[in-house]
Amino acid sequence: MELNPALLSGLILLALSLAAGIWLKFSTGRGKRVSTHEIIDLSKLKVKKGKSQVKTFGKKATLLQFSTEYCGQCPGVRRQLLELEEKTAGLLYLDVDITDRLNLAAHFSVSQTPTVFVLDHRGEIKSRISGIPRPGVIQSELKKLGAL
Amino acid sequence: MSELKRIDPRGPRFGAAITSVISLAGFILSQETWLYGAPISILLFVLFAWSVFYPASHPYGFIFKKFVRPRLGDPKELEDPRPPQFAQKVGFGFSILGMVGVLIWPVLIPISAAFIFFAAFLNAFFNFCLGCQMYLGLRRLGLIGK
Repeated sequence: MELNPALLSGLILLALSLAAGIWLKFSTGRGKRVSTHEIIDLSKLKVKKGKSQVKTFGKKATLLQFSTEYCGQCPGVRRQLLELEEKTAGLLYLDVDITDRLNLAAHFSVSQTPTVFVLDHRGEIKSRISGIPRPGVIQSELKKLGAL
Repeated sequence: MSELKRIDPRGPRFGAAITSVISLAGFILSQETWLYGAPISILLFVLFAWSVFYPASHPYGFIFKKFVRPRLGDPKELEDPRPPQFAQKVGFGFSILGMVGVLIWPVLIPISAAFIFFAAFLNAFFNFCLGCQMYLGLRRLGLIGK
């Protein structure tokens, strides 16, 4: 059977898209170690929790999520991490909307949302997860810090 | 675009599945001769324009509500409509490229169909919203405003 070249190109496009989808599923949402030793400055970050501005980090660790208005998956991740915060003593969860704060996105090289930073008790960035965190990734990053 | 009624996230994915079938057909047909691809480019343009300007009356939404949603259970959670609406604008941009192809430069027809297929396919089958992911990158490059 001879394959029509137009059909063949269609199949190639389908295969490439499938490969890209599988690659995206596997590559995003994993924890990456950060070794810049940067400590987050809460007075510059100006993030609110409830009504008041946050001034101190979690006693053991802090999860810092970057979201945008147009991020479809951010609310789901937020809910999941809020739940984890509730269950875990000494863990603080923060969510920053960077839709209008592109300077923050540039400073932290955030190019997709959600991106979650895992900070230690002093607020130093220990690791980052770009994309929807895979199940258990946040927990294992927190275990590395002894916060879980 | 001021109404912020939360939506069933499976609606846009259902639409993306249809779009991916249409755009793949357009991509294949336009290789034979661009004339075969032209009607599909026009169709995609109309569908995207419809969902950008009159999302409430879009046929995808109608088909979803009437035939698909009753067969599914209740959604686990509702979604902010802004991300998929933004993604539709990105799709609309690519469908304009296809229209330029129809009117001036036919080689753009398969190119536009391929991009639309790629984004719609990832959305429908991997729940990955390419347009939404590109949002921050495009903003940072200064290519789009708020």
